[in-house]
Amino acid sequence: MEIIIIFISLIIVSAICFFIKYRGTIEVCSILSSGVALVGSIIVAIKVAEIGSYTRYGIFYVDALGAITMLIIGLIGFVTTIYSIQYLHQETTKNIIGFHRVKQFFTLLNIFLLAMFLAITASSPIFAWISIEATTLSTAFLISFYNKPSAIEGAWKYLIINSIGLILGFFGTLLYFTSVSSSNTELINWQLLADKAVHLDPMLAKIAFVFILIGYGTKIGLVPMHTWKPDAYSKAPAPLGALLSGALLPVAFTIVMKFKIITDIAVGDLFSKNLLIVFGILSIGIATLIMFNARNYKRLLAYSSIENAGLITLGFGLGGFGVFAATFHLIFHSCIKAILFFSSGNLLLKYNSSKINRIKGALSVVPFTSILFIIGFLILTGMPPFGIFFSKMLILSVGIKTNPIVTILVIIFTTIVFVGFLKHVTKMFFGKKTDDVTVGEVSDWLLFSPTLLLVIVFCLSFYLPSFLSKLINMVSLTY
Amino acid sequence: MNSFYTQILLTLFFVSIVFLHIVKKNITTVILYSLQSLAIVLLLVNSFLETGKNSLLFVACLVLVVKVILAPAFFINSINKFKLKFLVTTYVNTPLTLISVTILTAFAHSKLFISLAHIIPINEHLLYLALSAIFISLFLIVNCKVALSQIIAVLSLENSIVAFGFFAGLEQSPILQIGIVFDIFVWIIIATVFISMIQKHFGSLDVTEMKYLKD
Repeated sequence: MEIIIIFISLIIVSAICFFIKYRGTIEVCSILSSGVALVGSIIVAIKVAEIGSYTRYGIFYVDALGAITMLIIGLIGFVTTIYSIQYLHQETTKNIIGFHRVKQFFTLLNIFLLAMFLAITASSPIFAWISIEATTLSTAFLISFYNKPSAIEGAWKYLIINSIGLILGFFGTLLYFTSVSSSNTELINWQLLADKAVHLDPMLAKIAFVFILIGYGTKIGLVPMHTWKPDAYSKAPAPLGALLSGALLPVAFTIVMKFKIITDIAVGDLFSKNLLIVFGILSIGIATLIMFNARNYKRLLAYSSIENAGLITLGFGLGGFGVFAATFHLIFHSCIKAILFFSSGNLLLKYNSSKINRIKGALSVVPFTSILFIIGFLILTGMPPFGIFFSKMLILSVGIKTNPIVTILVIIFTTIVFVGFLKHVTKMFFGKKTDDVTVGEVSDWLLFSPTLLLVIVFCLSFYLPSFLSKLINMVSLTY
Repeated sequence: MNSFYTQILLTLFFVSIVFLHIVKKNITTVILYSLQSLAIVLLLVNSFLETGKNSLLFVACLVLVVKVILAPAFFINSINKFKLKFLVTTYVNTPLTLISVTILTAFAHSKLFISLAHIIPINEHLLYLALSAIFISLFLIVNCKVALSQIIAVLSLENSIVAFGFFAGLEQSPILQIGIVFDIFVWIIIATVFISMIQKHFGSLDVTEMKYLKD
């Protein structure tokens, strides 16, 4: 019932945003729908922690990783909606956008949230694929939101690359279905595929998983399918960046992991683990090297997402405690990346530029935003005592036993990330401000969402609610 | 399954993709896409005649409306609206393109993919051909310089996978097939809107003109 309520509220509010002409109504309804989605996600997560999985009407199925991802979508969706209201108000004041764009934004935002929830709760892999494709379609116009040539270019690149990736993912999905008899009339679901996986031709399973990893890996942004990410993130409105990095990445990742279970039954876990390690280290390495010379802070955050996606993939590839650490990392990365995207949105509103060399002395201009960004950077790069420090340490300690060379490379890359990020942060936040910028935050309301997330991150670093702890343990046992 | 009839249809489908690589007019690419989609419809109709499942006929009608009628209509409308009668251009010239197509077809027939061709052993050659169609559709996407041809190449890739799924006996339940077709339909609408936006902002559909993201 909870899932149905989430869907109905998001569908109704999408329609309201499309048809109603009162901005206040659109904003209040959007907050309500994302709030309902958050509460619904928490209820589902608690139920999954209690009984192991959540199944309804034969078409919805949520396991432990799915429940964690639902929590992430719910939380990031809720804070993004709150942040977007004030962010779009500021853009309207500056005459960057009009009311028509605001309507478009909230309509598509709610559809995007709906598509992500559908993808993660669908019991059928094909329905999950349809929903993931729907996330591409709903966000394409959000990336081209400002209707500038560069935004259109970024959106086009996003549309084409993701569509190709997802079509290949569809091909991979179809190949898994060969294990199920053609006379089967039931809806093919994750459970049935896992049950029949022993009948899957091992070579076929390997080919299928490669296509899945390429297909959904495009959505995750794993190297070398990452090329759309910096362009899309840098051209999209800042709140969308938070959702793309914080919520969509875990959704696509969860689906890959569901296919991993099936593949592991058919061919053993070594094949998928090795592939995940290769894609993980490649993503960490390439993103790190580009981050060092980034010139645009939104692109910097996009490359950071690729690097962290690589770390999560590596953690799952290492297995055992690595999975535990990667799940932990998945949660923290989503929250921190949203904080960084919200702070970058504040900087963009203040300086009207996303170029790093145009942001000077931000600490004295927008002190709260700057502190949020700097804390976000410190947490993201693994500064103790926050959660990401522990997740990185765990991944590395597991890796050093099983894959020492890969782990040493990761240590080198993460050090470069810290130095590179620090270089950009120093340039942007310290030093003397330029004369053309007035001192003061753009709006105090723009600080609410990132501060709320920071409090959550702080709390989760020292105390995990029992249901969340149970879910993470269940994920490590399953994957 | 009437193997001779389906063989002819798949061969026509494959040839249409090869021709997509070498034709020079936008309107011809649209017609070729329409024809290859018609081949998919006929495969579905053939399946309906053999199994008697009404749902297959419904899906065939849906594919006919979306891929054979509506999508080409959208594209032709865009071609007329923006006077896009100019030539379709590719990165690789025609002889090299044909060599690449040959190599990709040979690659698809290699032992590497034997397990794919043996999903249904009786359809081995058809599955190899469908796999070749997938590979050369992928090459078509990479090789195209014009946004409209890229869209058709993506749709051609999707058709190739549908054809593969058909011969591998991996057809989905009617509800899911309707979902997939609906998804493709929405994708076509959005891609068509993007064609208008690209033409408006760049004065051309040539994606090599897109140079605003190099920062």
